Amino acid sequence: MSQVTRERLFGFRHAFDDRVTVVLTLVALVLFLLAPVLILVVTRAAKSTSDKKKELWDRYRSWIWLALFILIPILAGAFWTILAVATLSSLSYREYARITGLFRERTISLIVVIGILFITFAALDNWYRLFVALFPLTVALIATGGLIPDQPKGYIQRVGLGVLGFALFGSALGHLGYMANDWNYRPILLLIIFAVELNDIFAYICGHLFGHRKFVPNTSPNKTVGGALGAIALTTPLFAIGAHFVWFGTALDTPVRLVGLGIIVSVVGQFGDLMLSSIKRDLGLKDTAKLIPGHGGILDRFDSLILVAPAVFHYVNYFVGFAVGQPQQIFSG
Amino acid sequence: MEPWNLQPARDTGLTPSERFRSVRRESGLLENIAHQVCFLLLRSYFAIAHRLTIMGREKLPAHGPFVLAANHCSHLDALALGTALTRRYRERAFPIAAGDVFFQSTVTSTFSAIMLNALPMWRKNCGPHALADLRQKLQEERAIFIIFPEGGRSRNGSMMPFKHGLGMLVAETNVPVVPCGLVGTFEALPPHQNFPRPVSVKLVIGDALEFASIANDRTGWSQIAATVESCVRDLVAQSRTA
Repeated sequence: MSQVTRERLFGFRHAFDDRVTVVLTLVALVLFLLAPVLILVVTRAAKSTSDKKKELWDRYRSWIWLALFILIPILAGAFWTILAVATLSSLSYREYARITGLFRERTISLIVVIGILFITFAALDNWYRLFVALFPLTVALIATGGLIPDQPKGYIQRVGLGVLGFALFGSALGHLGYMANDWNYRPILLLIIFAVELNDIFAYICGHLFGHRKFVPNTSPNKTVGGALGAIALTTPLFAIGAHFVWFGTALDTPVRLVGLGIIVSVVGQFGDLMLSSIKRDLGLKDTAKLIPGHGGILDRFDSLILVAPAVFHYVNYFVGFAVGQPQQIFSG
Repeated sequence: MEPWNLQPARDTGLTPSERFRSVRRESGLLENIAHQVCFLLLRSYFAIAHRLTIMGREKLPAHGPFVLAANHCSHLDALALGTALTRRYRERAFPIAAGDVFFQSTVTSTFSAIMLNALPMWRKNCGPHALADLRQKLQEERAIFIIFPEGGRSRNGSMMPFKHGLGMLVAETNVPVVPCGLVGTFEALPPHQNFPRPVSVKLVIGDALEFASIANDRTGWSQIAATVESCVRDLVAQSRTA
């Protein structure tokens, strides 16, 4: 393993090399310090009930934990980042499998979990060709594993659910881990996660302010056209400005391309949210689990990130590329 | 094509600690692997430390639901009965354990659920609905329950009278009850000791009993308890002489 690779994987001393990382970490810190004041003011002014107050404080406390689970691995090194993404993938798949009932199909679940482990290895190894190959290969394995019980009844269902599970939580979310192979992965990941979470908040606030016309009342009755457009209008410039500093002087650094990337983050993020709403509504559930107080399950919190990861990855990969100049096949080469 | 019939896990909507204590709990992939590993270790432990001999294993029904009912005088009992079940039974096997011993703290309930796949039975303040939930689970999930109808470990090694709970689970159903006699576990690990001694243990499995024609009421329950109790007494006596 070369010195450069070791520094990228474990070099926490480089945590604040990039200005964008410093700014985003500081913003997060300030938000966490200001939030209690804001919650106090809002609950006093609105004369909120004690239930509503408790929910807000639960959410706040959970956000502190979530922020630590996100920030610490990203700052600590690419190795920890990829492991954190693998954990996120596994927990997300677990919730998905439990709410759809796919967890009762042991063989298929096992194949999906093995697929997630291989994706994690491909990301750690910086082996792009394996990373790409794993999608069709795992799908083939799921289709084969579905044959094992020798029961054609329900074959399409269990294989279909397995493939969707791997596509969303193994392959799509795996792109987030693969991004850590870029030398400058810290600001990239922080910016994406920040923008996606802010996008949710913007949609919520704008929906309250200008939301009149319902967006998709059957899928998610609280979403409005105003909220969706407002989120695009606010997230796009913020992301574009951040991305300008992250990809400074590269082929991506033109106003049109940066705005394009911002729109992708905002629009695809909202689609991810709607996707999970559809899954839950189809099953007749409100939350995917009761794991994070005030939020629900892991999926309820990170739904918007799932589709954004591959979209941003391939957009950036088209113009600039990821992991340019980094040694490939670190362990297997 | 089959109509789509997606059934979320029965424990959806419970927090992790509620889930470990819940009768509705359904194991996932990792928990299953943990049960199998635990079972493998226990098997080797009983073979080496207690030279466990099992007689009448062929009398076990081919698949769940069924109930294993045995005499109880040691913490080793449930583990010994668990090792009598082969791998294909294991996934559906639930030892029914005292809530106040195994599910009081988060640490013990996590261990009981993840390693042993145990379900809690609260000895105090347990309404009839607790047994109704277990009765439903037994039939719907084709489960295998490991039960000690004495309601606790015997302090002197001699059997205590069986309680009604067993009857409430199986009366008016086709769920077979398999009586089991255990000998040696009291000598190996009595209730007043903390560490087991290497004493040999014997398990005798009896013929399965069915109570479809016994009424699901107080007299029916006592009748079931009495029938199973006398079977278990015979098996214990049989294994002492064998």
